[in-house]
Amino acid sequence: MSTVDRVSQWSHRIFNTTANEQNVRRESVSNPFAKSNFQKNILTEDVFESTKKKGVSFTGLNNGITQGTKRIYSTFVGSINDFGKRFYEGIESIKEFCRGIKNGIVSAYNKIQEIGNTEVHIGEGIKHGYESIKNVLSYDVTSIFNTRGKNVAKMAKMDPHTEVKPMLIDSIEALASDMAKISEAA
Amino acid sequence: MTTTDIKTNKNYIRVSDIIDSLTINPSSDAVSVLEEIGTNSSIDEVREMTARALVKRNEVSSLSVVISNKGKGINDMSTVVAMSTINSLLSLEDKEIAMTVLENTISGEGVEEDVRENARSVKALMALS
Repeated sequence: MSTVDRVSQWSHRIFNTTANEQNVRRESVSNPFAKSNFQKNILTEDVFESTKKKGVSFTGLNNGITQGTKRIYSTFVGSINDFGKRFYEGIESIKEFCRGIKNGIVSAYNKIQEIGNTEVHIGEGIKHGYESIKNVLSYDVTSIFNTRGKNVAKMAKMDPHTEVKPMLIDSIEALASDMAKISEAA
Repeated sequence: MTTTDIKTNKNYIRVSDIIDSLTINPSSDAVSVLEEIGTNSSIDEVREMTARALVKRNEVSSLSVVISNKGKGINDMSTVVAMSTINSLLSLEDKEIAMTVLENTISGEGVEEDVRENARSVKALMALS
């Protein structure tokens, strides 16, 4: 039996398995085709059926190619074709995966930028707020105490009878007036 | 009007500043102005501020106003003013002048008995403090 015939028989068994043979095949570990599913991947035999049937090319080998041989070739070619498709799909999936990562990174970068910008704004807001509060506080504390202190020091240099006394009288009268108004309102 | 409300009043702050200026004014006329205007004010808070200013000056003339005069300082009709003046006297770091004025008031001639009694009580407190 020639090698081509043996392969042909193998392929015949592979593509025309009985239920018993399927069980055996699943149990068989050494069979290289046991875990392969060629049935969905094979090309039709007609692929190799040339319209110029009487062509030369495949006929010269061992008195022509048998149907089984065609199956093997078609299986092989189908596998290659399928491999290419799977490879293409794999490449596509990798591309998609990389695109997803890229998009994720870009969106994450944008988010970081956005957060960073927001933080900058918040920081500036806090800074401005702090400066405003500081200004207000410093104005209130320093201005009030310093102004009062300056006024007191200035009045302390005045003549008590001629300058300070009239001011004191006026202020006490104004205070009495305010107290009277508040008492009336109450 | 509560004490907190009056202390935020613009005129109260003004009066307080003027009395403070008279407290640190080196002229002896400042005491007379405080006595004439401040201690005779109808407002308790003004009398209280004036009495504390006179004590703070820690001079014989100023302390005599709040210790030896009837109706002023420790002898004020207002308990708040009197107690505030006594508290200021007790808070003095140098009590020597105040003790001298108190002793003079206690042993002085022509001093009313109420004033003398108050001076005696304050002197006892200051001796204990």
